[in-house]
Amino acid sequence: MSTYTIPVGPLHVALEEPMYFKVEVSGETVVSVDITAGHVHRGVEYLLSKRTIFQNITLTERICSLCSNSHPEAYCMAIEQIAGVVVSPRGEYLRAVADEIKRIASHLFNVGIMAHLIGFESLFMHAMEIREIMQDVKETVFGNRMDIGANCIGGVRYDLDDDQRSWLLGQLDRLEPQIDELVGIYTTNRSILNRTQGIGVLSPAEAIEYAVAGPVARASGVAYDVRVKSPYTAYDKLTVEVPTRTAGDVWSRAMIRLSEVKISIGLLRRLIEDLPDGPTAPAERPEIPAGEAIAKCEAPRGELIYYVRTNGTNKPERVKWRVPSFMNWDALCTMLKGARISDIALIVNSIDPCISCTER
Amino acid sequence: MVDTIILLAAVLVFPGGLFVLALGLGLKGVDRRIAARLQRRVGPPLLQPFFDLVKLAGKRTLVPEDACAPVFLGAPLVGVVAMMVAAALIPIQGVYTPSPILGDLLVLFYLMVVPAVVLMVAGSSSGSPYGAIGFSREMTMMLSYEVPIVLVVVAVALRTGMGQGDGITFSLTEIVHYQQIHGAFLLDPAMWPAFLAFLAFLPANLGIAPFDIPEAETEVLEGPLLEYSGPALGLFKAMAAIKTVVVLSLGICLFLPNAPDGLAGLAVQILKLLVVMTIGMTLLRVSLGRMRIDQGFAFFLKLPMALSIAGLAAAALV
Repeated sequence: MSTYTIPVGPLHVALEEPMYFKVEVSGETVVSVDITAGHVHRGVEYLLSKRTIFQNITLTERICSLCSNSHPEAYCMAIEQIAGVVVSPRGEYLRAVADEIKRIASHLFNVGIMAHLIGFESLFMHAMEIREIMQDVKETVFGNRMDIGANCIGGVRYDLDDDQRSWLLGQLDRLEPQIDELVGIYTTNRSILNRTQGIGVLSPAEAIEYAVAGPVARASGVAYDVRVKSPYTAYDKLTVEVPTRTAGDVWSRAMIRLSEVKISIGLLRRLIEDLPDGPTAPAERPEIPAGEAIAKCEAPRGELIYYVRTNGTNKPERVKWRVPSFMNWDALCTMLKGARISDIALIVNSIDPCISCTER
Repeated sequence: MVDTIILLAAVLVFPGGLFVLALGLGLKGVDRRIAARLQRRVGPPLLQPFFDLVKLAGKRTLVPEDACAPVFLGAPLVGVVAMMVAAALIPIQGVYTPSPILGDLLVLFYLMVVPAVVLMVAGSSSGSPYGAIGFSREMTMMLSYEVPIVLVVVAVALRTGMGQGDGITFSLTEIVHYQQIHGAFLLDPAMWPAFLAFLAFLPANLGIAPFDIPEAETEVLEGPLLEYSGPALGLFKAMAAIKTVVVLSLGICLFLPNAPDGLAGLAVQILKLLVVMTIGMTLLRVSLGRMRIDQGFAFFLKLPMALSIAGLAAAALV
């Protein structure tokens, strides 16, 4: 049978962001995939070297909306290493709180979109409705629904008083049964299982070969989580459970995300209950000497690594980061091979690609 | 002359043409509203499908460079006309009896295939690869649901014919008349398998979840409709609206046509349409995701096929 090329993207209803897949198909089966990137390159790395170290916290927050807490967090951790600033215990706990809240919202968004791609609009609406609890939490605690502006060099820019803490715990109690219900739907609903099981498979060996990160790696049996492997902020004081599955298909990735939401709820409870006293951030801005540092954190999509070099002036000389999607989207070529046209969007979505992070 | 005018009126004004278009768009509005409420949304105004059509009518139709223009623009016209004639073929008990000149169940059957064929033609003439995928999917779906529905119709025709003592009848008027006297087929257990097969046919023919495969927005960007815009797209929307009424009315005709005479009969008909639509379309599409084309095809080869064969056997033997 002769093959023909269909363009998926750069603008496609099923893709959240512009990305261009040239898909060679034979009938309904994908033969090969060619990924063209660079549609949303904005030159953020260059811009970072033109702004001051402190202005850059705001800029890194705007690289991407869904991981908008992880970027400034990793950036601040790198700068703190260079300046030798130690974050107060309360600051560390609050950083982890912001991290987990963003993680829950991001994962719920992704599993919701999966339902939308299957054409299961009711489940999509339901997942987004549940996510709305977390959006309300962000708006109440941080004053914003997406860019929460939690981090600053040496700590955090927000604080939780007793009222907010008990309110937050109440919201988690509201969220948890709904997540359980959602997990039940995703484990038993035939519409979901028929469409997502056994497609876009990435074997454990391939996962290691491609060095995929985050839920994609964990769904292929690679138990790698930065929060456990090299704990940052308050994670060394917590036991973070790392769920893994071995099937490595689209459904496993979604289930990993849902399990992580459950685990994050547990982590948030611990963090809020054990919140130590003390200052959230140093009273004065530290001097930033010349130096270089690497910091990493677990973004919702996986390991995010920041490299920062300063030269003693108030502007960084070089800031460079590696996002999880960069590792994950290469693996798409393997996942998509032999897939059906109807599953392309589902498989692409299953790595939760963050194009604006990757192309900055 | 008078006959011609009556026929034209039947096709263009009532019960085909304007009436069925308004009815179809109205049903679509209700369907979207109910679906929205089930998903805890507010939903669009009831008249939204009318607004959409008016808006599309005021826009430009772009013909892609690679498209074959006469076919590309002719396809939706053929579809709408076929559906208008089909609507004029279906009797409404107590309100409307189609003239025998227009044709019987077999003609209606051919006309009901037209929308799918027109979509295939549209998809392949648009020059878009997504249109081509839509084409092949539409064809696969048609092959899978066409056999069960033929068997369902034959079952009904056979039951009526045998009841009247003359073998088989393909006159819809007689089928309706027979049920009006002897009771609806819906209440006859021998006809239940055929009815269930019809319920499976409904979403497949109308392109509703879980069988909205040829026009899946997130997979093939509405497939055949991808390159359409303006009035041409509007015609396709009109075609879909009329088709909804035609297919639902056919179901009512075959299984539950009983109604009083006059205006009350019309009201009963609309009420039945609403009920069948809510159960057969709205509830289905909000509670299920989309199947893959191979899954859809396999599904029809199994359950509805078995049901329709059982239905035919039951209609003939019981």
